[in-house]
Amino acid sequence: MICDGSAIRSARLCWGETEVRRSPLNAYKLMDAPITVALNAMTLISILMLVGLGLAVIFGLMGIINLSHGEFVTIGAFSVAIIQGFGGSFWLALLVAPLVGASVGFLIERSLIRFLYSRPLATILATWGLSLIIQQSLQLAFGAAPQRIDSPITASVDLFGANYPLYRIVMIALASAIIVASYLLIKRTRFGLDLRTVIQNRDMAECLGIDTGRVYMIAFSLGAALAAIAGALIAPLTAVIAQMGVNYLARSFFVVIVGGAGSVPGVVAGSAVVGGAETLLNYAIPATIAQALVLVLAVIIVRLKPDGLVRG
Amino acid sequence: MTDISLTTTSIRASQRGRAQFVGLACLLACAAIVPIFFGSYSVALVRDALLFSLLAIALDFLWGKTGVLSFGHAAFFGAGAYGVAVVSTSLGAEPAIASWAGLVVGIGTAVLVSLVVGYFLIFGRVRGAYFTIVTLALAVITDHIVVGWSKVTGGNAGLLGVLPLYFPGAEGPAPLSSTVHFYFVLAVVSGVALALWLQCRGRYGAVLRAIADNEMRAQALGHNTSLHLLVVFVVSAAIAALGGGLYAATVGFVAPDIVGLMLSTQAIIWVAIGGRGTIVGPIVATVLVLWLEQHISSINTKLWPLAIGALFISCVFVFPNGILATTGDLLVRFRGRSRGKP
Repeated sequence: MICDGSAIRSARLCWGETEVRRSPLNAYKLMDAPITVALNAMTLISILMLVGLGLAVIFGLMGIINLSHGEFVTIGAFSVAIIQGFGGSFWLALLVAPLVGASVGFLIERSLIRFLYSRPLATILATWGLSLIIQQSLQLAFGAAPQRIDSPITASVDLFGANYPLYRIVMIALASAIIVASYLLIKRTRFGLDLRTVIQNRDMAECLGIDTGRVYMIAFSLGAALAAIAGALIAPLTAVIAQMGVNYLARSFFVVIVGGAGSVPGVVAGSAVVGGAETLLNYAIPATIAQALVLVLAVIIVRLKPDGLVRG
Repeated sequence: MTDISLTTTSIRASQRGRAQFVGLACLLACAAIVPIFFGSYSVALVRDALLFSLLAIALDFLWGKTGVLSFGHAAFFGAGAYGVAVVSTSLGAEPAIASWAGLVVGIGTAVLVSLVVGYFLIFGRVRGAYFTIVTLALAVITDHIVVGWSKVTGGNAGLLGVLPLYFPGAEGPAPLSSTVHFYFVLAVVSGVALALWLQCRGRYGAVLRAIADNEMRAQALGHNTSLHLLVVFVVSAAIAALGGGLYAATVGFVAPDIVGLMLSTQAIIWVAIGGRGTIVGPIVATVLVLWLEQHISSINTKLWPLAIGALFISCVFVFPNGILATTGDLLVRFRGRSRGKP
């Protein structure tokens, strides 16, 4: 049969399958203490925040529907695998991953996206094509088996009476710090001001002497770097395969849409709703149905509050 | 001046309309002779491509005519396919009517879902990129349901042994021979394509184009734009479900492949390459792209995703209006030059 090509098998948006296989994020017990539930939710929320923040810059602020955003997550995770493969430490990889992500984002923006700013539909097609190419190239280069990632911290700590892996707590803290830094970058720096100006009115910004092409270029690379950090952070907790990015694609769009396109507080609110609901539902019902319900919830929120929960 | 340019536009539009009709007729004629000259493998290939082209036509009706892009059309295709598969394999109905009943169930499900989703979104003034992303979620949700609800849908393994469509024959109802089946599929595709072409030829097409161009202005002219969009969305979903149902009954099995996001995006590439709003273009593109997929996959299955990715990017930069329109424009320019007109 025709539809049976490897394209469909390899690139299907199959949250269900990968999520079930990935034990650490899903190994929930019904008897978990409330604090553990909260921390599990926080883990997912903090990853969604980072991926969503990258997308909030690219989609929410610049209005580019970047369907290859998930691949920046994959690139971040693969950077960790490669650097660990050469004997480097995880923390080095965590520094390199955003650089790799930003470079790839830079190349993509310069070679493709900058020609398409006035053609949103064309952007959808081009970035989806790009996403397929990146996925398949990674799979050709590294194989279909999950990459080996060593967890940097194996210890766990007692937190309010619950025993919880230290790495996840570090991850939540790092993600929160990055969110705060991004907020300050957008609200308090010269670049943030330029960015907000360009978004409000590109022509007017150009009249004021802002190099809008440069601002878009930096913003896109920044968004890619944020997604790559998320990928590097999630790498020890998940199966690092070429298709892992699609798991985060639709979710990150929903984070941005639910939260309110284009604001940092919106991303936080959106991730809290999407990640929190998914974690809680995972305790009650099978993971696939839980994710479906989360998406239904997101659709309802989009219907009721088309501008998102937080107005930017 | 305005009058003249208006006339030129309408002449050009009617010429393009006629060209579409001629193209459609030629295409169907070409397809009709396939069983005479080619072996059963090619016949099956073209038949499947024609079935998938129903999905392309459905998406083209929505995306091409009204400018609303849906990433969720594979969900409707899948609803049709799983409708036929579930009813004919597990409900234990009479074989003669099982697949037909399944087809009705599948199309009914797609209509119902598209009606509810469409009502919520379209009357909720969700448009543009937001509509696209919500329909993307629809594809994902359907995928989850199909993979997760394995008792009914067979999960990842899918359902085998879907009954073919039975037709009343000389000795009671009988499944069709593969050649006759081919012509049956061809007739359905032709019927749907012709019906849409006729429908969109005149005033109705102009109304849809007005909505695509500027919905607010169309509304100000007194058109109930939301209702129009909802009707197009539901009809489009029904056509996709028809394609899916016939596909399941024809190939005999269904798997989650035919509901996922990947099929939705393949449908988008068929329409984008064929040229939005041309109806005949997407049919050609479906056949061509699937043929290309077969050939490239036979060299190395891993090359196909790379090729389709490159196709996506090239159709954005090289032929933004589709291959047919680009070649058509080149021809028109060539002819115009030979006549001494700019």
